[in-house]
Amino acid sequence: MEQAAALETVGVSMHFSVNGVRKGVLNDVTFSVGQGEFTCIVGQSGCGKTTLLNILAGFIAPTAGLVRVRGRRITKPGPDRCVVFQEDTLFPWLTVSENVAFGLTGNRKYRGEIGARVDHFLALVGLLDYRHYLPRDISGGMKQRVELARVLVLDPLILLMDEPFASLDYRTRREMQDLLIALGQELSQTIIFVTHDVDEAITIADTIEIMTINPGTITEELHIGQERPRRVTEASYGVYRDRIYRALWS
Amino acid sequence: MNGTDAGKDSKKGLVHGVLPWIIPAAFVCAWFIVSRAGILPPYLLPDPVTVIGTAHIYIFAEPGSAPYAGRFLQDASTSLLRVFLGFSIAVAVGLPLGILSGRVAEINRLFSTFINGLRAVPGITWLPIAMVWLGIGMRTTVFLVALAAFFPIYLNAMAGARQINPLLLRAGAMMGTGRIRGSYAVLLPGAMPHIMTGLRLGLGISWAYLVLGELTGVPDGLGAVIMDARMIGRVDIIIMGMILIAIVGKMSDALLVAFLRLSFKSARRMP
Repeated sequence: MEQAAALETVGVSMHFSVNGVRKGVLNDVTFSVGQGEFTCIVGQSGCGKTTLLNILAGFIAPTAGLVRVRGRRITKPGPDRCVVFQEDTLFPWLTVSENVAFGLTGNRKYRGEIGARVDHFLALVGLLDYRHYLPRDISGGMKQRVELARVLVLDPLILLMDEPFASLDYRTRREMQDLLIALGQELSQTIIFVTHDVDEAITIADTIEIMTINPGTITEELHIGQERPRRVTEASYGVYRDRIYRALWS
Repeated sequence: MNGTDAGKDSKKGLVHGVLPWIIPAAFVCAWFIVSRAGILPPYLLPDPVTVIGTAHIYIFAEPGSAPYAGRFLQDASTSLLRVFLGFSIAVAVGLPLGILSGRVAEINRLFSTFINGLRAVPGITWLPIAMVWLGIGMRTTVFLVALAAFFPIYLNAMAGARQINPLLLRAGAMMGTGRIRGSYAVLLPGAMPHIMTGLRLGLGISWAYLVLGELTGVPDGLGAVIMDARMIGRVDIIIMGMILIAIVGKMSDALLVAFLRLSFKSARRMP
């Protein structure tokens, strides 16, 4: 399994200048993610997780360091690294199925099979019956399913997720976690998932990158060997939790 | 659904349908009473029946059978053409410039001082210079209409492009949308509510400046008829002309909205 990493960062640092004062957000972030691996980046609010994800996506350029995808340096956003955002970013003027078709339209690779492909992925996330609805007429959990479908349909090398379930209620959140794990395994999808929720990370991840604050950097990597499906009540959770908390606040 | 619910619904629909016509109807009634009771003499305010009769001759009678007879089609189509041309120029310049100014700070900086300075000059002050440059008639009117309609279209397009959620643009970019597709598949629909407001305001003001352009001695057009009628003291024709402009203007607005809804999902599905 250990060929060229699906994604790796080398010494990524990010500084902002606020009123002439230099503020470091990320400092020398170096980690790599293997093909098909489910990685969680865990850290408290304000540690630079979202900034890091935006750099991985290519939305912003780091002050120093670089990001490689399959060995090639990336400089801008692209459909090889799809993002599921924390906020609702569906196009409100498109129906559910038109939103899912958006990235396929105009791509020669999918010509002639867009309709079938959209329906297939809508079925995967369980929303085939809602394909003609507008985003404003469906619930928050359903919107996140559409967000997931519209990027999975593009068959991305890497799926980047920025606290995508943070605004969902507990039950919907558990459902979405299960769905994501199932789809990730079925599609052998490489996933980088940012969260501040330690239990969520232990539940879904193969590997957890622990990120500290001031300046934001990854201090420890933790492999979760526990079989799936995992339950928060399992004793092993306590052990993992302990290690993560100690790394976060030592 | 049971009987009473259905009854309620149709009653609601009736109210909904009648509501927009109450004030126009009350207005006509008041007009009728004021003119028939002799509060104002007919040479200041002719009664509605006279105006309807005048409109009938103006619209349907054989041309030449009476003064102004049968001229409506000619006047209305001339005026519509002038509005259409002026408005189209305003859209063609104002929409792209507004959207670009809303997204690119440098372009906004380049144009905004000039455009806002220009905007401070009342449209009517352009009339003398336009007449000197372009003469009386079609070209001056189209120029005035284009100039006046430009500002609301430009300003609203800019506001629309500026208020777009940047995450929508990021979402488009991460799905592989380039600059060109991003412009018409994300930017334009995202700014559509503002764009639509700007276009409707622009079209409305087009009619105002059409009449201004036609008040200067051109032989045809709805504004020309009104000015012409004043000189021979035909108040009934003045009022008829005003009402016809209201009707044609309202219809052109409805047509614009229908066209946008037909052409753009984003206009059709506006919340």
